[in-house]
Amino acid sequence: MRPRSSQQPTSPPLFERRVVFVVGKGGVGKSSVSAALALQAAARGLRVCIAEMNGSESIAALMGCPPVGYLATRVAEGIEVISITPEAATEEYLVRALRFRKLYNLVFRNRYIEPFMNGILGLSDLTSVGKIMDLEWQREDGTYGPDSSGPARYDLVIVDCPSTGHGLALLGAPKTMMDVTGAGPLYSNAAMIQQLLSDRTRTAVLLVTLAEEMPVTETLESVATIRDQLDIDLAGVVMNAVPPALAAPADIVAWWSDIQDEAQSLGGHAAAAAAHGERVVRRRDEASAYIDRIRRQTQLPVLELPRLEDPQFGLDGLGELGVRLGRWQT
Amino acid sequence: MSGGNWAGPLHDALAGREVIVVCGTGGVGKTTVSAALALAAARGGRRVLVMTIDPARRLASSLGIDGAFNEATAIDISALPGQHGPLPDGAALHAMMLDAKSTWDGVVHRFAANEESRDRILGNHYYQRAAGSLAGSQEYMAMEKLLEVVRSGRYDLVVLDTPPTRNALDFLEAPERMMAILQDSIIKWIAPSSGRFSATRAGALLFGRGQQAMFSMFERFIGEDVLRGISEFISSFSGLLDGMRSRAAEVMALLRGERTAFVLVASPSRIALSEALFFHDRLDGSGIDVAALVVNRSLSAEPSPVGEVPETAWEAGFTPSDGSGRDALVDSLWDRYLARAAQCHIDDRSISELHRHCGKELPLVRIPQLDGEVHDLRALAQVAELLTRS
Repeated sequence: MRPRSSQQPTSPPLFERRVVFVVGKGGVGKSSVSAALALQAAARGLRVCIAEMNGSESIAALMGCPPVGYLATRVAEGIEVISITPEAATEEYLVRALRFRKLYNLVFRNRYIEPFMNGILGLSDLTSVGKIMDLEWQREDGTYGPDSSGPARYDLVIVDCPSTGHGLALLGAPKTMMDVTGAGPLYSNAAMIQQLLSDRTRTAVLLVTLAEEMPVTETLESVATIRDQLDIDLAGVVMNAVPPALAAPADIVAWWSDIQDEAQSLGGHAAAAAAHGERVVRRRDEASAYIDRIRRQTQLPVLELPRLEDPQFGLDGLGELGVRLGRWQT
Repeated sequence: MSGGNWAGPLHDALAGREVIVVCGTGGVGKTTVSAALALAAARGGRRVLVMTIDPARRLASSLGIDGAFNEATAIDISALPGQHGPLPDGAALHAMMLDAKSTWDGVVHRFAANEESRDRILGNHYYQRAAGSLAGSQEYMAMEKLLEVVRSGRYDLVVLDTPPTRNALDFLEAPERMMAILQDSIIKWIAPSSGRFSATRAGALLFGRGQQAMFSMFERFIGEDVLRGISEFISSFSGLLDGMRSRAAEVMALLRGERTAFVLVASPSRIALSEALFFHDRLDGSGIDVAALVVNRSLSAEPSPVGEVPETAWEAGFTPSDGSGRDALVDSLWDRYLARAAQCHIDDRSISELHRHCGKELPLVRIPQLDGEVHDLRALAQVAELLTRS
């Protein structure tokens, strides 16, 4: 293992990598951030593939398209989307590796074998992350493989991972397989995938979280796991859906108690509005404290993205988020 | 048996039950509701255990179960807000954090035929991995543990927080599926005469006779050592399976019987409510009786002044100043208040829709969004009050 020291090459900006894994707890907005990242990359003239790993097809929905399935499908200028399910990735991998579809059918559609291959060996996690390598390997001219040298089919592969636990299991799958098998065809394959994951000039993890207790705790744990157990570069943390401030802090300091007094004397809706305002201000303060905590404890670059309310939640809103991501990681 | 100090809509639904299963999709606050229900029942004089899976770290530490798996920890509830006077006799709250791996270990320790077989299982490389990762093992283990604590007779009520699943029935069906796989695999992988792995025999049984060539290709691909290790893991479980099956059947009967109530938790977002509706129908369809519905973080549960919200702050009576920053701040405040009122309206309508769908006679409790997050006992006591107010 390479020493973690200042001798490590500095990591390139996010948009110069080849593969970015977007990792976070369920419901924090990984798909939105993945889509925003893709829109920004495409705006810079990059050819992008978003690989969705959780089977929800939410990327296609965000981009206003019908489900795409296991076939890279163009959804916008410069952007393709593929939905990688463990079943499809395992089938493709094994049919290729075993050379016989019949053997694949016998072995992996066999209910006595499949649970152990997937549950214990983590085979489907390996084949899923293997498909990412496969996408990175594809060339414009249709050739493929680590030795192919033509221009890549995709400049950037963005991986919308399953929620944290499973997401980290995916990233750890090559190492797990190497530990379990020790040698053989599965071992060599896993080692090749691990090489891509460990290459900080090509691969990065982007963490997404909310400014709330559980997601922040989970993010800190993920950072520790990635640093201790996985040899993958961390590009930064996106604090998503941060509640907007009511006003500039100076204005609040100047007028707040005066407004509260007036609201109390008015009663009714005015008082309720003021109470709600109190809560908005307090939530914003709490969010700021969580953001500070992430900054302090991870020492990673941190980006705040605003919450998109329903009407803005479309391609335009995502494009705006992309612009912020672009300004952040240049 | 006393019904706890339930009041309000939950009283009839939950009084006298011995097990409450709290279910719902991920992120709706199941753990909070479970712990709060347990607290409310304990305050009513019952001995209560809440079993939870993967709670928020700070909630776990305030319950005193952070880092301790599968052990019941007593919680001091005598001095919480809302507790007026001494607790009734016998009132007690315990909490336990479930861990699939520890429960597996416990089952192996308690039910293995002898020491040799126990050590063989615990020492198997694949057992170490399978205990956490085999599909259904978390659900299966929750049931094992539930049965153990119910049988112990130490508690009047056990509240079980379920693992987040997309499918309502996963929790009930996953254990059965897991055991079926183990059972069938034992027959298929192992030579019965010796109880050991035989590659030739396994190949013939797994792939059918005449497919030996295929099997040897598969064996080369996976590695013979890996195959043998897995088969040893499977065979070591053969002695445990009968017991596992009969205990699972016992739990199923308990869950479907009168002693158990299911509480469905939802949050008022559009997606969460439609998931809750789906959840309800699946449970209902499989003969599980949903006893109550809890909607968490509901804006419409908060008190609000009567009458329409005025369009602007100035219509509500605020006095404009001279166009200073103060006016801008009042405007901004009012915008937020209007947005909240609109959200509240949507919230109310969608909850009513869900309630109508599930049947109006189903008890429904709305819990408002609390100030701050629920990660200590004081906040939990507040939720308990809200759950049981009339």
